[in-house]
Parts: sequence; structure tokens; C-alpha cells
Amino acid sequence: MQTKTVIGASALTVRLDNRTILDNLNFEVGKGEVFALLGGNGAGKSTTLKTFLGLMKPTSGIASVLGKNVALHTNDVQQSVAYLPESVTLYGHLSGFENIRYFLSVAGLNKSDNEISVALRKVALQENAWNNALSNYSKGMRQKTAIALALLRNAPVLFLDEPTSGLDPAAIDEFNALVSELAANGATIFMVTHDVYCACQVAHRIVLLSNGKLTGSFERIGDTPIDTEAVHAVFAGRKA
Amino acid sequence: MIFSVAKTICADQWRYWLRTKVAATVLLLGAILTLAALIVNAFHVEEAAHAREHLQTEAEERFKAQPDKHPHRMVHYGHYVFRAPTPLSVIEPGVDTYTGNAIFLEGHRQNSAMFAQQRQSAGLTRFSSLTPSFLALALAPLFIILIGYGSVSREREAGTLTLLLSQGTTRWQLILGKLLALIAASGLFLLPLLLACLYVAFSSESPLVVLLFCLSYAVYFLLWATVVTACSALFEKSSVSFTVLIVIWMSACVLIPRLGSSVATNAAPSMGKLEADFKVEEKLRSLGDGHDVNDPAFKKLKEDLLAKYNVDSVDDLPVNFRGVVAQYSEGRQAKVLNEFAENRMGEELEQAHIARQFGWLSPTVAVRAISTILAGTSLETHHRFLREAEALRLEFVQGLNKVHVEKLDYKLDMDRNASEEAADKAVVGADNWALLSEFNFNPEAANTRISNALIYFLQLIVWVCITVLFLKAAVRRLNP
Repeated sequence: MQTKTVIGASALTVRLDNRTILDNLNFEVGKGEVFALLGGNGAGKSTTLKTFLGLMKPTSGIASVLGKNVALHTNDVQQSVAYLPESVTLYGHLSGFENIRYFLSVAGLNKSDNEISVALRKVALQENAWNNALSNYSKGMRQKTAIALALLRNAPVLFLDEPTSGLDPAAIDEFNALVSELAANGATIFMVTHDVYCACQVAHRIVLLSNGKLTGSFERIGDTPIDTEAVHAVFAGRKA
Repeated sequence: MIFSVAKTICADQWRYWLRTKVAATVLLLGAILTLAALIVNAFHVEEAAHAREHLQTEAEERFKAQPDKHPHRMVHYGHYVFRAPTPLSVIEPGVDTYTGNAIFLEGHRQNSAMFAQQRQSAGLTRFSSLTPSFLALALAPLFIILIGYGSVSREREAGTLTLLLSQGTTRWQLILGKLLALIAASGLFLLPLLLACLYVAFSSESPLVVLLFCLSYAVYFLLWATVVTACSALFEKSSVSFTVLIVIWMSACVLIPRLGSSVATNAAPSMGKLEADFKVEEKLRSLGDGHDVNDPAFKKLKEDLLAKYNVDSVDDLPVNFRGVVAQYSEGRQAKVLNEFAENRMGEELEQAHIARQFGWLSPTVAVRAISTILAGTSLETHHRFLREAEALRLEFVQGLNKVHVEKLDYKLDMDRNASEEAADKAVVGADNWALLSEFNFNPEAANTRISNALIYFLQLIVWVCITVLFLKAAVRRLNP
């Protein structure tokens, strides 16, 4: 893992209808780092994600990606990041293959069928499902399709929203392995989740978010995963 | 770049519609319905045009082929005039459906037009008024709503909107793509109309009129596609955008036009037909009976005539006094009839003008006005038909009265009922029936129709501006 800052929040504050959703967030994510923002429902995880994706403007402070202020260079930032939504929202009327081709096309990227096939193989999506309508895919298969899309976009930064929600244990393991591989290849991964176990397994760093404020931070030391119990205790409101 | 992305989004929207059975069915149904209405109406208009041309010639020939007769019997024998449908009435029959297109012309009366399609239909066959213009103006927007109401909100509900926007697709690219798709779908309903217009453009209609006619419908469809896309972007849920769009459709296509008619009827009330007929009869009765030379109403006419020719008795007049009375009476009756007719037409026109002002509240009303005016099937054209028919009626009736005055001996005329032989003598030659002029009715010149429609084009332009602003607001507020 390298230390160059790829994602940064500096006094990041978002207020909506006189409610403070994000309150003075400060953190940095380095290149090749898997960063997990852990929080319960209503903690502000989705707002943080939307702010970094340029879908929401901060009230004050700065959200930056690849050294660019997202609010000022929204389109540039959006071209260089890949986003994996929680319920992997691709089109049900299209096949996995068609979905990838379509989303690449609207992002202005032209990839050959061969390149798409390579990416789908890489995420281990069964070949006999490639041309089936996505509405017939399981959540894990849709997840893989979305990751293949992210790979094909060659995005140096990946934002993942509750990536393991609804996946079975085998699919979670597959997913974690894929994320680790991407990070090892230099991709910076920012995930928001409330899945303590998954976050501890895959993240280099976990930051806890509660009521829009950062309330704790855990870092992996070496190859040993972060202590699930310790994180869970703080997350659940108990002392470690 | 903006168009290339929009094109991709448009293509995907079409793929979605074609793979979704409901949308594909709506598209197909709409296109088939428009095409069917157009074909049926085209056949009907074509048949009517030929029939009327034939009937007009036949009526004229039959009139002229009458044997030697008393001229006043020819006045009551009468004559038919027909109005051939205009080329664009294939699409827009306008008021023709209700007003009728043939008039029986006879002495002393102004008959109404007859043979209106609606009047010939039994109650249950009122579906026959499913004209291409009605389909385009009232039903096509409903089809556009049915296929387009979820085009953007579906993306929001499915979460794909976030994905699209997060990878750099701009709001305008997305909306433009969806709008292009809906415009293309609307084109399916417009295409049969355009093809019919193309056919009409090669007939006797002015190409400029045809072009403006098409343009008004194209802009109308564009307005609906834009409103549907904007609503779909503006409201979070498809169900809400559908409800709002149905309310807009009901208001624009049903309530406001209906309100326009009601307001017009109340603001410029007109006399009912029965009441008007009674008043006309009353006024005509006060003018005297033109068949009775001894009616006191013609006493002064008689005195003036005797004085003019310096004779003591009508028997000594060099002209047929019965014919003079008929001619004099017809002239006065025509004046009264025209006065009432002009009043009625003025009232109808005022009502039409008031109703058309509702085009500022509904583009449907604006396009309907443009459509009927350009097609030559408006109320104004019908009134011109009535006036031209009345001019012909008066011309041939007074022509026959002139023959009565000059060519039929007064004594023979007065004795005509004495015996069959006497009746046979009180006639004039059949060559006198040649006085009947040919009747050719044409709609107003292209320039006149275009200038009459200008104000309603202005209404349409205002609607375009409003819709563009609405779209801009929807794009600005489009959020995942």
C-alpha cells in the first residue's frame, strides 16, 4: 500500500434542511488502500458517498478525489471513478454483457467484445449466463457484472456501497478476494458498509461514522485482519 | 459527445420498449389505430369527393333537363349544391362532420346543410368520428404518456440513475436521450399523418399549407414528448408522474376544450334553431305572401307599377304582375333571411373565437384551430359555403322570376288553374333553365388560411417556450 492521498475529506460538512448530515469529516485514503467507512443506518454513509461521487454538494469543506475538488471538477472526477451501488442497479431487460457494453458506451468508452469477455472471466461470472437477462441473475452474479464494469473502466478509484449486503458467505469470500486483488494492483477502494465482518476481512483501515461524525478508527497491521470484536464493540457502543 | 451519449441512451430506451411487451403493444396499437383511421377516412373522403362531384353534375343536368314548365314550379323544384371535401380533410374533417356538405336550394327558404357524417350515424356508431386529427390531438398524447411516463423515473426507482450520473453522464445527456426516444416513438403516430400530407401535397393543396399543417402536428407531438419526459424526470416515482401526466392530459385534451365551448356559448349566447325559425317565419309573414298578388303587402308595388306604365289595370301591364310580385317578394325575403343568417353566423363565429382563445390554456385547442383553418374545414369556410350557396340560390330563383315576369303572359298565368289545357299553356320553354350557373366551391386561398391561423401559431410558440422552461427546471431538479 502506498501513501499518496487519492481520496480526501477536509472539514467536510453537509447540511440538509437545517440538519447536519456530515459534520466536519477529515480523513485521507492512500493509493492502493481499501478504506471502509462503517456506520449504522442514518449515520451519513450514503451522503458521504454521494458527495465523493459529485451527486451532492458539500455545505462546507472539501471532498477531493485524485487531488481534484469534486464540487469543482465533478465531471473529471466522475470519469475517473467507478461506483458499485448497493443493490447493483443494472438493467434487468439487458443481459450482463449488454449492460456492460451500454454503461461503457454512455461513459464514452469503447471496449471490444473480447475485452469485455476477459473482464467477465476475471470476475468469474459463469459464461453461460453472460447473455441471459440480468433480471435472472442472483445478487452475486449482478455484483460480479458490476465489478467487471468497474474493471473495464480502468478506474483508479472504486466506490462501493454496501458491497456484501445480500451475498452468501461463498460470494463474500470471492468478493473479498477480488477487492484485495484490485487493491494490490493499485486501485484505491472506498467502501461504505455496516458489515463489520467483511470490513475487517478486507479493509486496510476502518473508520466509524455515527450521526455524521467520525467516532473511531482501526488499522490493519501487516497481513492480520482488523480485530472484528474490537470494531464491533465500538460500533455497538461498547468500549473495546 | 452530448449527442453520441444521448443517442446511446435513446437506443437503450427503444430496446427497453421493444423488450417490454406492454410498451411494444402500446406503440403498435397507437400506430395501427392512426393508420387505420387515416385509411378509413381517406377512403371516405375520396368516395365523398367523387360522389359529390357526380351528384353536383347530376343535379345540374337534371335541373336543365326539366321539360317546359311554369317558372315558379321550377323555383320550388329547386337545386342541390355540394361542397367537395378539401384535400387535408382526409386528416382534419373539422366542422364538416357536423355541419353537412349539401344544401337544397329553393325559393323563399334558406335550408340548412345536410348529409353530415355525424347526423347520418346512429348513436352507437358515433365512433365513426375517430378521425386522424382526433386521434393525433386527443389519443396520441395518451399513448405518449403510457410509454414515456416512466422513462426517467424508472431509472431513479431502479437506482440506475445514480450509476449513470456517477460515471459522468450529464443530466442533459440523459434527458436528451430519453426525449429523443420518446420523440421517435411519437413519430410512429405522426408518420401516417406525414405520409398522408405528402400525398396531399402532390394534389391540389398548397405545399406551404401542407408544410405548416404538418409542422403544427409535429410541434404538438414534440410538446407532449417534452412534457412527459420532464414530468418523468421531475417526480420521484413513476406512479406520481403518471398521475400528474393524466391530469395534464385530461385538462389539455378534454376539460379545457370543453370549458372553452361552454364559456363561448355562455359569453356569446345564440338563439336556438327552433326559436330562430319562428322569428324568421314571423318576419317573413309580415312581408306578405308572394304567391298572392292581392296581398295588401304588395298594394304599393302595384300602384307604383301601374303609375310607371301609365295603365289602370295589371292586365294591361307589359309584364307579368305575378312574376313581379314573386321577384319583389323573393328579394325582400332574401334580405330578411340573410339578416338572420348573418346574425347567426356572427354569433357562431364569436363563439368560435372565444373558444379558440383557450389555446392560451391548452395547446390542443391551438393546434385544433390551426388544423381546421389550414385544412379549409373551419367554421369560416363553412360560412363561406353557406353564403356562396345562398348567392346561387337567389341568382337562380330571381332568374326564374325574371323569366316569369318577362316570358309568361299574365292572363295565361292567372287562368292556369282553370283546366288542364290552361295549365299546359301557362309554361315557358325548357331552354330557360340554362340560366343555372355551375357551383364550384373552393376553400380560401392559401395565404388567407395561413394569415387566419397566425394567431394560433403564436399560441403554439408560447407553449413551446413554456415547455422548454419546464424541461430546464426538470433537468435542474433531476437527482438520484
